[in-house]
Amino acid sequence: MFFYYIKLALLSYRRNPVLSSLMVLAIAVGIGAFMVVYTLTYIMGGDPIPQKSDQLYHIQFDYGDPAISAFEPPPQLTYRDAMAMLEAPFDYPRTATSRFSEAIEPPSRNIAPFFANGRGALSDFFTMFDVPFLYGGPWGAESDSNGEQVVVLSRDMNDRLFGGENSVGKNLDLGGLVFTIVGVLDEWQPIPKFYDLNNGQFNVSEEVYVPWHLIASQELRRSGNTNCWAPPEGDDFQAFLNAECAWIQYWVQLPDQNAFNEYQSFLNSYVEEQRAFGRMRVPVDKRLFNVIEWMEEQEALPNEIKVLTVLAGLLLAVCLLNTVGLLLAKFLGKSAELGVRQALGANKSSLMIQHTIETGVLGTIGGLLGLGFAVLGMEGVKILLSGDIPLDWLGIDMTMAMTTVGLAIISGVFAGLYPIWRTSRINPAIHLKTQ
Amino acid sequence: MEFGPILRSLLRNKTGALLIALQIMVTLTVIVNAIYIIQERSQHMTKPSGLDEANITHILSIGYGESFNAEATTDNDLRVLRGMTGVADATVINAIPVSSSGSSNGYMVEPGRLELAVMAAQYRSDDHAISTMGLELIAGENFSPNEIVRHEPGTARTDTSVIVTRAMAEALYPDDAAETTIGRIFYAADDTALQIKGIVERLQVPWPSADFAENSVIYPEIELDGGNYYLVRHEPGYRDENLPRVEETLAAQNDTRVLRENQTFEQTRTITFIPDNAMTSILSIVVSILMFITGLGIVGLAVFTINRRRRQIGTRRALGAGHIQILRYFLVENFVISTVGVIFGAIMTVALNMFLVNNFDLAPLQWYFVPAGMAVLLVLGQLAVVGPAWRASRMSPATATRNI
Amino acid sequence: MLQMTNIGKTFLTGQVQTKALDQINLEVDEGEFVTITGPSGCGKTTFLNIAGLLENATAGQYLLDGEDVSRLGDRQRAKLRNQKIGFIFQSFNLMPDLNLFDNVDVPLRYRGLGRGERHQRIEEALTNVGLWSRRKHLPAQLSGGQQQRVAIARALAGSPRFLLADEPTGNLDSKTAAGVMSLLHEINAKGTTIIMVTHDPVLAQNSRRNIDILDGQIRDDARRNTAAVA
Repeated sequence: MFFYYIKLALLSYRRNPVLSSLMVLAIAVGIGAFMVVYTLTYIMGGDPIPQKSDQLYHIQFDYGDPAISAFEPPPQLTYRDAMAMLEAPFDYPRTATSRFSEAIEPPSRNIAPFFANGRGALSDFFTMFDVPFLYGGPWGAESDSNGEQVVVLSRDMNDRLFGGENSVGKNLDLGGLVFTIVGVLDEWQPIPKFYDLNNGQFNVSEEVYVPWHLIASQELRRSGNTNCWAPPEGDDFQAFLNAECAWIQYWVQLPDQNAFNEYQSFLNSYVEEQRAFGRMRVPVDKRLFNVIEWMEEQEALPNEIKVLTVLAGLLLAVCLLNTVGLLLAKFLGKSAELGVRQALGANKSSLMIQHTIETGVLGTIGGLLGLGFAVLGMEGVKILLSGDIPLDWLGIDMTMAMTTVGLAIISGVFAGLYPIWRTSRINPAIHLKTQ
Repeated sequence: MEFGPILRSLLRNKTGALLIALQIMVTLTVIVNAIYIIQERSQHMTKPSGLDEANITHILSIGYGESFNAEATTDNDLRVLRGMTGVADATVINAIPVSSSGSSNGYMVEPGRLELAVMAAQYRSDDHAISTMGLELIAGENFSPNEIVRHEPGTARTDTSVIVTRAMAEALYPDDAAETTIGRIFYAADDTALQIKGIVERLQVPWPSADFAENSVIYPEIELDGGNYYLVRHEPGYRDENLPRVEETLAAQNDTRVLRENQTFEQTRTITFIPDNAMTSILSIVVSILMFITGLGIVGLAVFTINRRRRQIGTRRALGAGHIQILRYFLVENFVISTVGVIFGAIMTVALNMFLVNNFDLAPLQWYFVPAGMAVLLVLGQLAVVGPAWRASRMSPATATRNI
Repeated sequence: MLQMTNIGKTFLTGQVQTKALDQINLEVDEGEFVTITGPSGCGKTTFLNIAGLLENATAGQYLLDGEDVSRLGDRQRAKLRNQKIGFIFQSFNLMPDLNLFDNVDVPLRYRGLGRGERHQRIEEALTNVGLWSRRKHLPAQLSGGQQQRVAIARALAGSPRFLLADEPTGNLDSKTAAGVMSLLHEINAKGTTIIMVTHDPVLAQNSRRNIDILDGQIRDDARRNTAAVA
């Protein structure tokens, strides 16, 4: 019977091609537009590290000067607090991390010197964030404290400098210093770049990674957001490091609730201690944020996308209302046929099944067309955004494609509920007489 | 007028009419809010920077290595750039307006009163800044060449004269006309005293969405940290030809540096506004799709109801109704439905706007967007129904007596 | 095989109760050919709808094949319609987008018969009315008389015990109508009970039994012994 109903649905499409195509178009357009926006939300707001997102915590301190009106505590750490956190007596993996930008003098004279985006991090950074390695591995923990000049390259940078061959053990001239290459990363581009949401959450991952302490000890050219709420007491670099200026991201991995509680009470007493020195006087609600909480707090998903989601949802609603109206017109238009079918032995539920399948067929056609629209729309978005952020990750994958068609079928059937209910209440007898 | 019968007929067949009204309601809600956002963003994107945008380009030079001499390089670069054919003037600056990257600071009329601070962008440049950017000096004077400080990183800054924008002067001294504030002294957050030497009409900050979009302070200072933005104003017609030559010329001067971002101001603007541009484009598409779908929905249902009423229309025609009366019947019917839709739509529009304002930092809607949107949808409804209604009005009276 | 006792049907239109049928008492035996006559609005169609289980009566008892069907639910009525009753309408009511084969197939599908049996029955029914060769045609490609023959084939394909016809010749010219009538008489002769509503006094006079309805009540139930086949 199922295929019989499919056949009837297709015949019915052929009988009112204009009306049916309007419905398909309405579903397709509504679903297509909605899926474009939903895909953006899904990718941009998705969990970038699902296996660990509830274990990785960023610290927020009660920074600021109450005298400055409407001051929001900056989401990064000062050098002084980052150092204190690193010295805390815990074995939990942790990393202070921040950006820098330095000139690279390539080993090959054929490539002109250029500036590379770099990141200072502790060796735990790579294991905490499950960073994939192509060659070699992270530097050891002793390199962190000894200020060894070791470097990890991104895959792209290794391709550029060494033509993609294993460069571990070679030297790299970076910012006028000689570094030893200890590892080369595989492709790594978390979306969003959760470990540093303050410097472009969709920016390209950094190209070189060095022990974080070198940023201070070698005065590497820092880059990225810096928020100060008191002027440094002095003009040299040391004065800056001591100042109330936040520029460091700080992550700690807390495997369970006990660890969380322990670390939280440590933080609370640290803040109390600092208050005694007149610091940390703008209270915050919360000091430890896991990855998902941090993304929400930092509004990693742009407001634009949220507004678009609301509007696309309403667009879909209009398209469905449209479909409901057209389906109603269509179904009520074949009251006579329904009367005949009942006279010939159809019961109400078989008619309802017939119509549900018909709406399902319309939804499927609409969904396939909508998938086409969504793919086109996604390409359009890529064109609109090209040049702003890397876009390799923007696209409709198999899950999204299935979701699109599935949602379209559900929408079609949903839009059909009322019209089907209406047709089921038609008295067959009155439609059998001459129209 | 047959208003009464139309209304009664509608009330008997409410579902179809209700669906159209609901569609119009939601459509109004979306398009008014979308168009409002589009309009807001466009204002953003077209806000004048104060610069002579058509003729300006910039390039970033970053020196590296022990042998790099920041001061000598800067002096030489500026001399070479200013000497190029087709170059009107050139300057060195720490940040490019509208480029999204720069530095800001808080300023106060009394030292130490952080709670009074007015936020502003800090530009550090030389006596060629006004001429290169093409700014309009409305009061006071430009910097003199000997005023320009060479600042080594890690050394103290001293009190100095500055040039501010009109908006900045008005923000600091709300009670006085900007022109009268020449010579006054205000303070940076670190209590450095700054004396207003000149006022320019307009100079945008690097962040177009900042709420202090035109609060800028220009310091007479060249920062010798190795990284320089060079702004170049070309003679009209020379910009595109000169753009590659700027990079070639600078590269030839010194090879212990990296040159980046050699671009026109128009390119800078385009790059900065990529997200806004994407947002307005997507919203425009959403608005068009909605109007289209709603229009089609109205056409579809009109065709259907007219087909269902063929006999009735034929009978009316047989009883002497003219084309115009039939046409008018359907136009009035649609008008009634649409009016109900837009009235409820207006309420929902304001509700959605309030939701967006509360949740996503949007500015509240200006009232006249609502009636304008209502009018547009009423017209759309009439346009959508006029085709089917016209066909109905042409229906032969014989339809009434014929079996279908 | 069909027995109605005190059947009544009341419609509620607004505040007004309209009696469409009142106190109908009737018995029809297997193999009978009964015509129903009466002026417009007398209740003929309501009678047919109740007899055909398209509607339930509001009063009285209706036995079909000895089974009380007066208060059945939709599903059971649909099943009985499908298995025991065939319908023929004045305006044929063929499905415009199905070809002849698929039109006749409709009731068989609802009965849930297998592919082979459906095919066999459809072939038999269409051959019976002389239209098997045109099975791929759409209804619109046929004349009115041919369309009605398809409708008859559709009604017969499920081998119903009785056939309800609502002015089957009302839309046909007299020559074609005569052809359809002789087909119905042939069917009746093979044992199918037929109840036919008609306006045509000639058809009524020529049937063995004619029931005349007026204002929802049976005014006359005339039986003749001589069956005059036109």
